[in-house]
Parts: sequence; structure tokens; C-alpha cells
Amino acid sequence: MRRLVAAEFHKLVTTRLWLWLLLGSVALTALYASLAIAFGDTPDNPTPPLASPGGQRTVFSVGQGAGTLLAVLAAIGLTGEFRNQTATTTFLATPHRGRVVLAKLITYALVGIGYALVCIAVTIAIALPWLNAKGIQIPLGGNGIPATLAGVVAAVAIFGLIGVGLGALVREQVATVVGLLVYLFIAEPIVTRIPALGSWTIYLPGAAANALTQVAQANQDFLPPWQGGLVLAGYGLILAAAGTFLTTRRDTT
Amino acid sequence: MTDQEGRIVVAGLIKTYGTLRAVDGLSFTVEPGTITGFLGPNGAGKTTTLRMLLGLITPDAGTATISGHPYRALSVPSNQVGAVLEASGFHPARSGRNHLRIYGTVNGYPPERADQVLDLVGLADAGRRPVRGYSLGMRQRLALATALLGDPQVLILDEPANGLDPEGIAWLRQLLRSLADEGRTVLVSSHVLSEVQQFVDQVVILHHGRLVRQGTLAELADRQTWVSVRTPHADRLLAALARTGLDRARIQHTRPDQLRVTGLAAAEIGRLALAEEVELHQLSTEHSDLEQAFLTLTAQADQKPVALLKEAS
Repeated sequence: MRRLVAAEFHKLVTTRLWLWLLLGSVALTALYASLAIAFGDTPDNPTPPLASPGGQRTVFSVGQGAGTLLAVLAAIGLTGEFRNQTATTTFLATPHRGRVVLAKLITYALVGIGYALVCIAVTIAIALPWLNAKGIQIPLGGNGIPATLAGVVAAVAIFGLIGVGLGALVREQVATVVGLLVYLFIAEPIVTRIPALGSWTIYLPGAAANALTQVAQANQDFLPPWQGGLVLAGYGLILAAAGTFLTTRRDTT
Repeated sequence: MTDQEGRIVVAGLIKTYGTLRAVDGLSFTVEPGTITGFLGPNGAGKTTTLRMLLGLITPDAGTATISGHPYRALSVPSNQVGAVLEASGFHPARSGRNHLRIYGTVNGYPPERADQVLDLVGLADAGRRPVRGYSLGMRQRLALATALLGDPQVLILDEPANGLDPEGIAWLRQLLRSLADEGRTVLVSSHVLSEVQQFVDQVVILHHGRLVRQGTLAELADRQTWVSVRTPHADRLLAALARTGLDRARIQHTRPDQLRVTGLAAAEIGRLALAEEVELHQLSTEHSDLEQAFLTLTAQADQKPVALLKEAS
């Protein structure tokens, strides 16, 4: 399995996509962090004030935005095997296809940890001086911020599982990527803002990731962090298991 | 090493897609030390068979083993079997060398192995360029290099001559011959016999998922020499021929006044006719080329005119 994971990393770094999506994640994180700080204390803002622990946790949770692009990277990493027809060569080298999918799950979870750490560094680099200038001292070791940062790492890593699993289920690259982006950027944010839909929307993946990273918003309920983590991990594991199962069973033509 | 080493055994293989039986009870064996042509028109089931042999497609029934084991049960398959299949691609942005190093990493081969096989297939200069700039022939060579990474005992190539220029085909022939001479098993599929007839020893001919013929190329050629006899007493001559112990399958009653006989020389048939007092109007030895033989074989299985089949393939 070490070799398989090493080979997956080699596949990843011999094309540029990981770098572009990392830059995209950094840009998203910088944008979200800036918006959260710039508008954090405006009167009609639904998030708690920046001086409060809840407001600070919300600022430091923005790195989870990397999860979406990581899921895209992971999905492309899997569906690309079929799109570029390298799946045949890959499965010839490793006929136990479940091991191939498992290696990708491990690889993209690890890459997710890397993405998250970079985005956390970006968040800190922006938030600390800016909040300091606003006269707010941030105790990085307190106010629940370490738990939020750990949540960011876990959430982004789990999005790697979601991307690989979904890719293995759908196989079709464009459909998988468009589906992921439309769902996470458009569909879920809309659905969770329709009160008539009731409280079940707290179990959706994006909301679960918000719960895990302790985003606080006055107009939206979230699960407790640990439950959010379990729900998100559940999506990752179910998609990973279903994708692995189907990849093992389907013919490679 | 056992006597199974390097032998490919296909037994009773069946694969159905919807109502189409792509492979229909196929059995054959391929021996080490030979180059075997796996032949049949497009759609005969060659690729499906090879993919079942390589564990990529699950058969509905039957078994396919290499060195006595199903492909999926081989411990490090790349050490024993190298395969080049149609529709095995490359990431366009990745260099050929990196492609090889990735599959080397999977199997635990050192990075230098990638350079060795690049050299072997004549791609040393292009190795560091992205594959998107490769010609079809260069991609075939890279696919072959991938198959050779593990220095395998068995080599399986699906339509390897596609995209190669005459020089490339000559190079491929030489490479495959030297691999077979080292005692390796080489199985090469093609839908055009003439493409591979210069370098295969054995042929396995497939049509509609069934085995049409397996044997040496020489045997196939032998079947394509026959004696054509025209006589108003075809039935008497046929009976006389049968009494000589000649296999009835070697005598074809092609027209009311015509027989087509293989396995006997024209002189022998003439002598027999004289002894039986059968009047002859024509007695001649005729040939057809191997390609014709191949088309005839597959056309017989098809019950379609040869000309139609030629177009289809």
C-alpha cells in the first residue's frame, strides 16, 4: 500500500492541477477571511461579533473552503484514470482494484491535510494582524480556536474521501466535477436558507462541515461539532465504500 | 519453475453483453517460446477475450489462466505478464518517463528501469516530453515500454501494429522475435493477418467469439493449397478418394462436376482416376494466399460472402 500511495502522489505531482487548485483554495480562503473580518462587526451581519469566541472561530473556520476544491482534485484524480484511459494500465499493475481506490482515498486525505494546513497559515497571516489592528487580541490557543483549526483539517481531508468516492461512483469526469461544484457552491447554500425545508438541512455535508469547524450564524442551526464531524465522515465513508465496491465489480473496457 | 510457466490456457470462456454473445465457449492454449497471432475480424471478441485473460473483465463462464493462475491471483502481475491493450492511454500532460516511473513505483522497480525500457523501445530522446506531443507510433512504443517494465515472461499485445509505420513494424517484429527466442510467450492480436504473418509461428483464429482454427502458420498455409478436379462422375471419384483413407473433411464437393481436395497431390488423384476409369476434364493445383485463407475461414463461420467481410474488417 505504501508503493501504491507513493505512485498516487507521483501521479499527482507530475501534472499541475494540484498547484492550481491549491492556489484557488488559498485565494478562496483569503477572500472568505477578509470578508469575515471586514464585515464581521457590521450591524446586520449574522455572525457573532469578532471580539467574541464564536466570531473568532467563524473567522478561523474559513480554511474549510479548500475542501470543495480538494474534492474536485480528488474526483479528477479518480475519473481521470478513465478519461485518459490509464485505468487499464493501473488495474493491470494492481488487479485488486479496491487497493487502488484505497490508495487514492489515503492520498487525497493526506493532500487534504496539506491543503488545510496551507489555508490555515493563510488565515492566520491575514486574521492576526488585521484583528490586532482592530484592537482584538487573538489567543490562538484559546477561545476554541484549536478545535476549529483541527476541524478544518478533518473537514478538508474528509472532502478528499468524498471526491474519490463520488468519482468512483460516477466515473464521468465532467459530470462529477460539475455536480460537486454546483452542489457545494449553489445547491446546498440555497437549500439551507429556505426555512420551510425544516431542520434536516443540518445533516447536509456543507452544514456538517460548518458544524465541525464551529461556524456560528444567528440565522442557521448547526449540529454540535462532534456530530457534524461524524455526519461528514459518514458521507465520506459511504461514498468511499460504494465507489470502491463498484470499481471492484465493474468491467474495465 | 513448473511446466505451466508461461503457458496461457483459455477454457470455455463465455461473455455476453445483452443479447450479444461476444465470446462463446472459447478454448485455446498458447505455448512459451512462440509468437502466436490472435486473429479475427473486428468484433470477433479478441479484445474482450484478452481483457478477460487479464482480469479486467469478469467472464460469465470459463477460465483463463497464465502460468497456471488467473491474472488476479498473480502476486506481482507485472513481473510475469506485460500487456498492451487498445484504449490504454496516458495523461497528456505527463512525460513518458514519468508515466513509466509511476508504474515502476507501483511494482517497486527502481527509477532507472524507466530509462532502460525507454531505451529499449527507442524513446530515450522523447522520454521527458509530455505525451500530448507523441505520435500514435510513439504512444504504441510507450505502451510497449510499460508492458516491458517488469521483464515479463508473457507478453500480450492487442493490435500492436496499429499506428506503426513499416519501419516500426519491422522493429516490432525483431523485438518480439528476440523475446520469443528467449523462451517467452508472445500473444499478438490483429484483425489483418498480413500485418502479423511475417512474425507469428502459431495462429488462433476467432470469429463471432468462437475458435475457428488453432495451429501453426504452416498448417494454415498448407490448407490453402488444393487440387481442383472437374469430372462428370464426381460421386464415383469422391467414393474412390474416400476409400484411400483420406479424411472426408479434406474433400469438398464445390459444384456438381467439381471436387476440391487437400492433402493429396494432383498426380496421385490423376492415378486414382485412371485406375477407377473416371473421366477427368480438369486436374490442377491451386493456391490462395494466407489473407484469403483467413477471410475464407472467418467467412465460413459467418456464412457471409468474402467480399462483404473484407469491407467489414
